[in-house]
Parts: sequence; C-alpha cells; structure tokens
Amino acid sequence: MVQDLLHSPAGLQNFLIFFGLAVVLLLVILGFVTYAILAERKVLGFMQLRYGPNQVGGPWGLLQTVADVLKLLLKEDTMPKLVDKPLFIIAPVIAFAPSFVVIATLPFTDKLQFADIGVGLLYYIAISGLTTIGILLAGWSSNNKYALLGGMRGAAQMISYEIPLVMSVLGVVLLTGSMNLNEIVAAQENVWYILLQPIGFLVFFIASVAELNRVPFDLPEAENELIAGYFIEYSGFRFAFFMLAEYVYMFAMATLTTVLFLGGWLPPFDFLGFIPGAVWFALKFCAVTFILYWFRSTFPRIRADQLMEFGWKILLPVALANIFLTAILKEILKLF
Amino acid sequence: MTFSGELLAFIILAITAVIGGVLLLNLNKVVHMVVALILTFVSIAGIFVMLSAEFVAVVQILIYAGSITIIMLFGIMLTRHRETTEAKGGGLRKILLLLGVLGFAFAVYIGIYNLDLNPQESTLHVNNVEQIGMALYTKYIIPFELTSVVLLVALIGAIVLAKKDDEKEANKE
Repeated sequence: MVQDLLHSPAGLQNFLIFFGLAVVLLLVILGFVTYAILAERKVLGFMQLRYGPNQVGGPWGLLQTVADVLKLLLKEDTMPKLVDKPLFIIAPVIAFAPSFVVIATLPFTDKLQFADIGVGLLYYIAISGLTTIGILLAGWSSNNKYALLGGMRGAAQMISYEIPLVMSVLGVVLLTGSMNLNEIVAAQENVWYILLQPIGFLVFFIASVAELNRVPFDLPEAENELIAGYFIEYSGFRFAFFMLAEYVYMFAMATLTTVLFLGGWLPPFDFLGFIPGAVWFALKFCAVTFILYWFRSTFPRIRADQLMEFGWKILLPVALANIFLTAILKEILKLF
Repeated sequence: MTFSGELLAFIILAITAVIGGVLLLNLNKVVHMVVALILTFVSIAGIFVMLSAEFVAVVQILIYAGSITIIMLFGIMLTRHRETTEAKGGGLRKILLLLGVLGFAFAVYIGIYNLDLNPQESTLHVNNVEQIGMALYTKYIIPFELTSVVLLVALIGAIVLAKKDDEKEANKE
C-alpha cells in the first residue's frame, strides 16, 4: 500500500495520509516507550528481589509511567540564567528527531514498513549519528561542567562505537549482497545470521548497547560521578524528550537487531509458519529488549578509559577480522 | 514547468540549505554557526535523495553532518569558544567583497546557462550502491586505492605529529 502511495502524485490528500500514518506510528512508539519503561522497572525489580511499581493502576503498576510522564509535563520548565538559550532549546529536538526518523525504514513485517530504500542499513546508522550532535550541544549549552563532561563523553563514546557497529554489520551485508533490510531478512529464509555470523552478532550487540548509552556503557549520564551527565540542567518536558529519544532508540535498535540477525518476521522452523510474522517479530523483539534489561541489572559500569580501549583495541580488530573471515568463507571456500 | 511534489520538495530543501548558509555567515557564536552548517548539510543530503543518489545522500549525512561537525565542535570547545566574532574592515573591503560576489555569480551563471546535460539517466537509482561499488572497483580502482593511500599517510602523519608534541612537552617538564 505504501509503495503505491509513494508513487502517487503529490496532493493535499496524500500529504494528509502520510501525516496520519506518521502520527499513528508516533503514538504506537509512545505506547511502546510507556510500557518499555514499566517493563524495565518491573524486570529490574524482580531481578533484585523486589516488586517494582505496584501502586498506580493495579497490582502491575500499569499506569505508573503515565503518571510519571504527567508529572514531568506539569513540572515547571526551569532554565538556568547563563545557558546558551537557542541551543538549550533546540538540543532535545536534535537529539529526539533522528530517533523517530530512523524508524521509517525499519521493516516490522513483510507488509508493515514505511519506506523500502536500497541503503536502509546505512540510513539507520547515518541518521542515528545526528543524535550525537544533540547530546553534545545539550552538554555544551547547559554551561555546567558536569553536563559538558557528559556531553563530551557521549560524543566520544558514540563515535567510537559507531565504527565497530558498522564493521560488524558488513559481514551480514557481504553474505546478503545488499544493504536493503528487506533483502537481508529474505536471505535468512533458511538459517538466521546469528548462526552464520556469531562473531559479528557479538560485536554488533555490544556496540549497540554502547550506542544506546545503556548500562554497562552509560558513562555519559553516570549518576554517581556526573550526577546525570548531559541533561543535568534539563527538567520537565525537555528532559522527557531526552528520555524519549533514549527509549525510541532502544525500540529501533532492538528492531534492527531482530531484522539483521534473528530473521525478522520469519518463523524459526517452516512448520511454525502458520503463526503470523508479526507475532514472531514481537517475540524476537521482546527477547532482545529483555536482554537489554538483564544487562542493566547485572553489569557494573565500566571506566571511561576501559570503554575507549575496549572499543578501539578489541571490538574494532575483531570486527575487521570477521569481515576478512566472512569474505574468505564466501569467496574462496564458497561455503554460503 | 508543472508544479509537482518534487518541485515543492526541492524548493523547501533548497531554501533550507540557503537559510543554513546565511545563518552560518550571520550568527555570532561559533557553535551556533556549526548548527547552521548541519542544517545545510542535511538539506543537501535531501537534494541528493531527490536526484536518486541514495548512497551519496546517506554518506553525506554520515560523514559531513555526523562526523565532521562533531570534529568541528570538539575543535571549537577545545579552543577559545567564548569568543564571538566581530565584523571588521571598512568600506573598501565591503566593495571588494561585493565585486567578488558579483563576479562569482556571473561566472556560475555563464557556467550553468549553456550547460548541456545528457538526457537524464533513469536507471541510476536501481541498485545504487552496487553500481557505485562496481564502478569504484573496476573502472576507478587505481584512483580509489591512491585516495586510500593518501588518507592512510595523513592518518599516520597526524599520529606522528601528535606523538612528537607529547614527547617534547614531557621533556620540558
């Protein structure tokens, strides 16, 4: 349906259709973020032998996040006197907008996708790099040394880990012969890439956790050394934007992991094909997000110098070796 | 010329790019200028998309909007970032500038007015990345490899220079 729409002439009607679709997607993502936060707190709670939110909205705390967001929205919007005002205002927007833009190319099922472009994978990585600028500007414009440190750390970390991230995915691209996400999923018809590219998957997953700024790589916002890092001066709605960007990226990254390595919407075995693709996708997606929560409750934060050394001295060479190995296996031994 | 969605998109992107450029020249703080530059880079990427050059567009965002501006921001923050630039120079300078701008506009006008573009290629967007890869690794392999050697030399040179400075400072102390 979207394909037909993309080729239809421009007009007010089509514009409204696209606008409506985008709004629906935004609402779906907001819903996801609401319950991802709740799920995270619940999972963390259970792993630490406590209950997690259990007051607002029944015993499962189903309305806890809604209440939290309402509180954020009703808060006074404070802005320190000496901030760089235009940048301070625009930084959350620069940080959030790319996170929503990247979702446009991600295929959820074979029919549920917005744009099917040839360089889908590269598009994701390129656009998500823009968030770094938002974080850096937030840190700088706050006129606060902790915020600046957090912003600098965020930029350094996200740039360093973007390189292993791209390199680890190149193995998948080599095997598929395309950067189109749909073709990557189609190439996993028989066997998922997590089995063909185990090293690539490991590097990708570690680098993606670092890109998401989540534990054990949450140095930009390390509470106990930088208070809250780059968004320390932010409150209310603007703060909510940074949190939103973080969770939307988690949504996007979990989707990307599923699509690249776990076969997207394809069932694991052929006889299970009667279950619709959306269900398979949701299951795999939930598994990936659960592992992210699991990491958060079990790993300690690593040091800044360890972070850099790990990225440049371990992940990058391993990812390069993986590309080399894949090329040998594919072209010389012709295994795939 | 009919008024199509493509034209509308082009006008919006072009105006955004020009606004970014004008802001870059007129803003006072250096960091604000970099943000204006990002605006220009991203809109130019949009124009690349309209020309069916998906790969170039994505690389434009990845390299220019993503990496180079971050390097600039780091550079600005490591130096005197509180400085704001002040306009200097008198009337003569302004007149010379105006002449230069007019001359440049005239040269560009002459250059593109009689430009004869080949009939538009209609298959460029098919397997865009594959086509670029094929061209780079068959027809243009030697220039491509030479460029990478140049980049490698630059990288190693930068490391050597940075190292030397370190040692000197260490010796001083």
